[in-house]
Formats: sequence, structure tokens, C-alpha cells
Amino acid sequence: MKRPPMRRLIALLAVLALAMGAIVLRLSVLQVSQARAYRSYALDQRLHTVTLPASRGRVLDRSDEAMAISLPARDVYVDPRYVTEPWDEAQTISRILGLKVRDLVPQLTADTTFVYVARQVDLETAGRLERLHLAGVGFLPSSRRAYPAGPLAPQVLGFVGVDGVGLAGLELEYQSVLAGKPGERTQELDPSGQPIVGGIDAERLPAPGSDLVVTMDRDFQFQVQAALEEAVKANQAQGGTVIVMDPRTGDIYAMATYPWFDPKEFATAKPATWRNRAVTDVFEPGSVNKVITAAATVQERSLPLDELLLVPWKMRVGDFVIHDAHPHGVEQMTLGDVVAQSSNIGAVEVAERLGAPRLATYLSKFGLGQVTGIGFPGESAGMMLPLYLWSDTSLATMAYGQGIAVTPLQMISVYATIANGGVWVRPRLVRGTVDPQGAFHPAAPSPTRRVVSDATSQMVTRMLAYAVKAGTGTAAQIPGFRVAGKTGTARIPKPTGGYYADRYFASFIGYLPASDPKVVIAAILDRPTTVYGGVAAAPLFQQVARYAIERLGIAPGNAVPPPPHAIPAR
Amino acid sequence: MDVVATKPYVSERRPLRHLDPILLLSVLALGIVGLVTIYSATHASLVAQRIDPGFYLKKQLTFVTLGVVVILVAASFDYRFVKVYAGIIYVASLALLVLVRTPLGTTVRGSQRWFQLFGFQLAPSELAKLALVAMLAAFLSQLRSSDLSLQALYRATAIAAVPGLLVFLQPDLGTSIVLVAILVGILVVAGARARHLGVLALTAIVLIFGALQLGLVKDYQIARLTAFFDPQNDPQRSDYNRTQAEIAIGSGGLLGRGYLKGTQTNLDFVPEQHTDFIFTVIGEEFGFVGAIFVLMLFALLIWRAVRIALLAKDPFGTYLAAGIASMLAIQVFVNVGMTLGIMPITGIPLPFVSYGGSSFLTNCAAVGLLLNVHMRRLV
Repeated sequence: MKRPPMRRLIALLAVLALAMGAIVLRLSVLQVSQARAYRSYALDQRLHTVTLPASRGRVLDRSDEAMAISLPARDVYVDPRYVTEPWDEAQTISRILGLKVRDLVPQLTADTTFVYVARQVDLETAGRLERLHLAGVGFLPSSRRAYPAGPLAPQVLGFVGVDGVGLAGLELEYQSVLAGKPGERTQELDPSGQPIVGGIDAERLPAPGSDLVVTMDRDFQFQVQAALEEAVKANQAQGGTVIVMDPRTGDIYAMATYPWFDPKEFATAKPATWRNRAVTDVFEPGSVNKVITAAATVQERSLPLDELLLVPWKMRVGDFVIHDAHPHGVEQMTLGDVVAQSSNIGAVEVAERLGAPRLATYLSKFGLGQVTGIGFPGESAGMMLPLYLWSDTSLATMAYGQGIAVTPLQMISVYATIANGGVWVRPRLVRGTVDPQGAFHPAAPSPTRRVVSDATSQMVTRMLAYAVKAGTGTAAQIPGFRVAGKTGTARIPKPTGGYYADRYFASFIGYLPASDPKVVIAAILDRPTTVYGGVAAAPLFQQVARYAIERLGIAPGNAVPPPPHAIPAR
Repeated sequence: MDVVATKPYVSERRPLRHLDPILLLSVLALGIVGLVTIYSATHASLVAQRIDPGFYLKKQLTFVTLGVVVILVAASFDYRFVKVYAGIIYVASLALLVLVRTPLGTTVRGSQRWFQLFGFQLAPSELAKLALVAMLAAFLSQLRSSDLSLQALYRATAIAAVPGLLVFLQPDLGTSIVLVAILVGILVVAGARARHLGVLALTAIVLIFGALQLGLVKDYQIARLTAFFDPQNDPQRSDYNRTQAEIAIGSGGLLGRGYLKGTQTNLDFVPEQHTDFIFTVIGEEFGFVGAIFVLMLFALLIWRAVRIALLAKDPFGTYLAAGIASMLAIQVFVNVGMTLGIMPITGIPLPFVSYGGSSFLTNCAAVGLLLNVHMRRLV
């Protein structure tokens, strides 16, 4: 019998003790010196924060009728790890959501943990899918924009993307007002995503957005759009724009651009139809611009109102020959006749009396070449050459509205200024907001500035009324009402310089009643085959004006005397 | 052997009077720790599956009860019979290891390790550990010289290599490591020279390198090992388990988060939390203090095993006890080390604590043999 191998056993024991020591050392590092760090790792692993979307505010018209609202919806996602029968599931989902199976299968088999299958699905449809308890299919709260009255002023309101963010128009401009503040929920979850009983579950509720109250009238907008669409079709135009505005407050009652789009389906619409051309696009105004030439002349007394000008039907200016719309012999015209007959040669002669510096000053005073500040994304300032860049033809062409580009909104503001006794008022689209508690917060009144005197504006109104009564604008007449307004038939410039021979913007801008204007209307048609403002645009103006009289309750007003004139009514 | 009756002080030498109560109590305590933590590790997910939350607890309780019987049986007969039958036991264990590779065995997660018997899983690799201990003890105790010759060392190595290779091919890297540790432990106690052990180590390295070259090692095993040595380069994310285990244990802190309050382990952040990663439950819920307490129980157990090796009446008893001590110690070290991130992940259960019958009963048999050697040290 051998002696017990004491020494060797002690060696074995020593090795074991060493191993044990290593374990204890490591344990004390993990659990004593770094315990706090590991505890927070562990908490981070369990804590999951989800955003609770805030409900977006509505867009209401001036009498609180809803134009755009948000409805709760669901975003449908899939975690492909849990999908065992992708083909079967794809067919089921396709049947309920109307998606293509061949698009769904790659999503259901993707090597990832999260794929959106459909977003902003209405609750009823999402509910039908949810009741099937498909493996891997989940739902997130979301919302979608709905338009109870259909596509009304879609270019003005704009639209909202899948993430609930306004992408265009007022939805974009007033994103921060409408959006509200999202809340969040922080929960302790186990690895399968189930809440841990007794764990952290903290919730900060979302703050809903405010409602935006616009100056538009929903029903009136509908009528305006219908009239515009009809006019575009009747005149075989490429498009058109109508703006209706209160000259005293700057409130926009209606703003329509044709063709428009359905904001529910904005993603599939042509991006060109997204543009609110009334604000973002420019055109050469043509004869409607003569109102500035006339107003400046009256204000500056650069031409006695009863002075007779000798007006041939064409004349040479610099290297160009300009002429009136129709041939005529040399006629004697007062300023009133020039406006009423819309004589280009007459306007040039009037402008030459005024001089370039003063015309430039008044163009600016009436707001051309600068944004109105209506509060709309992408508003254009128009294009106006500064005086030092004017050529020897600039004075002549600007006198009758070529060689200068304006937005429809700028131009209607010029007429609104005359209608408002010579005071320019910044146009506005928003009356105020309604906070989630229901309190109305009115927007600040629009800033104003005096451009011409009250007397001047009354004289110009007499000229504009005479133009409707006896000049080029007779198609705008409304029996029993005195309408003041001006036609415009502007040539369209080529991008390469010069003008197209056969493309015109036909416009009519005017207001009523002439003695006490309550509403200004701009009607513009793009390339009508009927060409002339007095033929294509004036009837559209008249139709919109009839709706305005009815809708806004406008009284006929008093007669206004004609301006001094040499050419009698035809 | 029947000389006992003729000697005086017979009653003093009655084996039952020489039970080792410290050994028994430490095993019992570990078994209870296992029951307590298995319940904590499994109740939450069982409730979630609408299964009795005590499902695993009850099964483990059965194993513990059976384990007591196994200890008693293993202690009841004279351990020297083991020496007589060591060869048969050894060959039988090899036969089982081969059989499990046939369709009779069950493949779980790519590894063919178990027989499905009466609703229980029987892992022949567990039996192979004890069989190897017995075979090596029997072989080495027959040698006449007190020093170990190189030839004897190679024979002993060959004895260990056969089951070691079979287990390795299952593949079960963990059990192969245990078998190697048993060999080395017994050889040290049997007087192998340091120089010889060095030669053995060198041979092993060459063989391992060869195995890698021949593609005998599965890719995932290499990935696990390289992930351990180079955590930055871990395409299979096999590092996930280790990270989760460390977070669970670390978040336990000094005093633990409280029983049944270990969110990391109760809620499946840590995988295999009731079997291989049971120590993370102890670490998270009972903290540093609890972990040290459990390690103390293991230290007590291993100390008693080494002490029994020292007290044993004959070399066979010494080697048997030393082999068992090595077997238990390496399992504790590899298992706990893996949960602490200082050893690679190899799928070895924590003796007496991890859920599972094969391992528990094998370890109980080992403890029974230790008691056996202790009880009969004077006989």
C-alpha cells in the first residue's frame, strides 16, 4: 500500500483554489465595482419608448366648417421573423388591404424585424385584419387626413405626408400650429415585447394640435371652383386661377387654381397640379396693369383728366413698333378713354407724361416686385426690373403691363388697394386658430399702407366702372350692380426671349359695388382659344361675382359718375 | 474482505458511522439552491405559456428525490467492486456513446447526445465521465511503481481519448473538456511528472490543430471560441449569450435584486437560464453575496472530495475520489466562468443546480462513490 500522495493532492487543491480565486475576482468586478453600469445596461435593454402621435388640428373655413380633419388610423407593419407562411399571409393581407401579393411576399420574407406593409389604414379595415391575428403582423396608431367636402382649394390647404407632417400649402406653413406635441410611453418590456408586470410604465400624453381657421368660405370656394372648371373647358384654356378677396380686410374668400388634385391621392397626382399658382407663379399682367399707370397719373396730376390725347393705332418706341389690339384711325382720348378702351398707345402716351421714375415708384408702392407676405410657402415676389436697368422701351411696355411679371395675388391686391380707398392691405388666408380647449385666437389684423389718396382711388374707380359700362369689360356687367374692373390680354413670353404669337393670358380683375366695394375678384385663364380678357375672363368674373353677391350678401350700391371722356358709350 | 468480523472495535468501523455529513449537507444545499433558482428562472415564461409555473420545479424535485436514492445505492456496496467491474462499465459506456450516434439517439439542436427513455433524456456522455474516472482509477491503481512511467501515461491517455473523441464528435465540446480535466487531475495525483504532462499537452495541441485542419470541429464551435478570444469579430453573434449573462450578473450588484425579481433571467433575456446559465439567476437575484455563498458550497464539496482522496484506504479510492473532485471542479469552473465571461461558452451544466436529470443523477452517483470511499476508509 502506497502512502497517500499528500503533496500531489495539495497541488491539485492549489490549482482549484486558483481557479476559484479567478472566479471570485471576476465576480467582484461584475457585481461590485461595475454593478451600476450593468444595472443601467439591463434597464436600457428593458425600457422601450414609443411615440404617441398627437392628433393634428383641423382646417376650418371662416364659418368653422371643416375643410380638412384627421381621423385615427393604423399603420400596419410586419416582423418577418414570425411569418411562417408568407404566401398565405400575403394573400390574406392583399385581400383586405388591396395590395399586390407580389409586393407583399418580399416584405414578409425580408431579413429584418420591421417592415411597413401599409400606412394610414382606416380603423375599420385595420380592424378586420387585426381580428385575423396573423403571425408577425402588428399595428401602430397613426392618423390620416380626410377632406369632408372633397378637394376644395387643395393647392391652398396643401397636404400631409404619411408621417403626419404637412408637406405643402397651409399644412406646411402652419405645421407647428396644427401638429401639436407628440407624447411618449416608456415601458419595461421582456424580450418578446410583452410589458413586464410591475415594471416601469410611464406615459406622457400627446398635446393635440390647434385648429386653423382660414378666411375662405367652403361653399363659396366650391362654387368658384365649379365656375372656373366650366370656364376653362368652355374657353379651351390650359388652366386658370380665380381669387376672391375682401378689399377692406385682405381676407381671401376663395382661391382656386385649375387643374387641381385630390389631396387624398396627392402622391399619384402630377406635381405641377400641387402648385398654388395664385401665389407661387407669375404672369405678365398685360392691360390690367394699366390701373397703376392710371392711378399714378391721377395722383401725380401728370395729365389733366380732361386733356385729349391724339392716339394713333400704332407707334414706334425705340426699335419696336407697338400697336393697339384693333386697328383704328387717330382718335382723341382722355385718360378715362384710354382705360376704358384699353389702348396701349394711349397708355404709353400717359406713361411718357408720368416719366419712368414715377411709374417705377408706383409699381413698387402697389406692391409689385415684392411678396405680399400672405404667409404661404414659396410665394413669388414677381419680376420687376429695377429702374436703373430699364431700357428705352421699358416705360412703354410696363405702362400696359408687359415686360413685368406678377403673381395673381399681387395684381388683385392692386385692385383691392383702389377698392379700399387707396390703402393697400396685406391679403391673408388665416383668420386665427382654435386651441384644443376650444378658445379662438384671432390672427393679427393685416398691416396696411396708403398708396394713393381716397380721391385718386375714387377717380380710378370711375374709370374702371366706365370700362365695364362702355369699354372692353362689358361682359362683366351684372344688371342692377355697378361693377368696376379691367380686362387684360397679355402675351406670353418665350423662355428664349420674345413672345409667342398666339398664346395669351386672358384676365379680368374688378370689384363691386363700385360705390362701396365689398369684394375684389380676379379671374385669369391660361391660353384660352377665345384669347381676350373681355371675352374669356370677364364672363368668369361675372359668374363668380354673382355667387359672391348671393353668398356674401352684397347690396347693389349707388351709381358712380363716368370719368371725363371723349368717346361715348357704344 | 470478510475479515472485518474477526477484528476488535467492529462497531467503530461500521461504514454507516463514517458518513461525511459536511459533504452530504453541501450537496443537499446545492440541490435546494437549484430548486429555488429553477423555479425563479422558469415560472414567468411558463405562466406566459399558460403552463403550471412549477412544471420544471416538480420535475427537478423528482430528480433530487431520485438523486438521494442514487447516492444511497452508490454508497451502499463496497466501492472496490467498482474496481472489479471498471472494465465492463467502461466498455458499456463506450457502447452507449456509439449507440447514441445511431438512429436510436435523439438529435437536439444539431447535436446527437441523448436517448429518449420513458419521457426522460438520458445522456450517455454523463455516464462516460464516471466510467472514465472508474477506469482510470482502476488502471492506475494496478501499477506497481509509485512513479508513473511514460508508457503508463500514454495508456491512461488512450483510455481517456476514446470516450473523449466520441463525445467530441457528438459534438459536445464541454464534456470533452471535462473528460480531459478528469484525466489530468487523476494523472497529477497518480504522480505524473511535470515533464510528461508537458509532452501530453504538446501532443494534445498538435491533435487539436490537426482536428481543426481536418474539419472535425463544427464551424459554430470555432466561432464560439474565436468570439471568446476576439469579441469584436463575431459574425454569428454568439457573443450575445455571454453579454446577456454578464449584464444579468452585473445588474445583481452586491445584494441582488431579490428572489423572483431578476428581470434579465426570468424574462428570457439570458438564454438557457434554467440549465447552463442558472448561475446568472443566482447572480442577478442574490447578488455578489448569494453567488459567493453558492461558490462556498462548491468549495466545501470539492474540499471534502480532495480530503476523501487523501483519507482513502487504497490508491483506487484515492484516484476515484481525485477523479471525481476534478470532474466536479472543472464543471463548476467552466460553467461559472462562462457566465462571467472568462471561459468560452461550451454548454456544461452547473452540478446539482442546473435543471436536468442526467447530469444531476451522475453527479449524485459520484457523490455516493465519494461517501463510499469515505465510509470504508477504515475497513
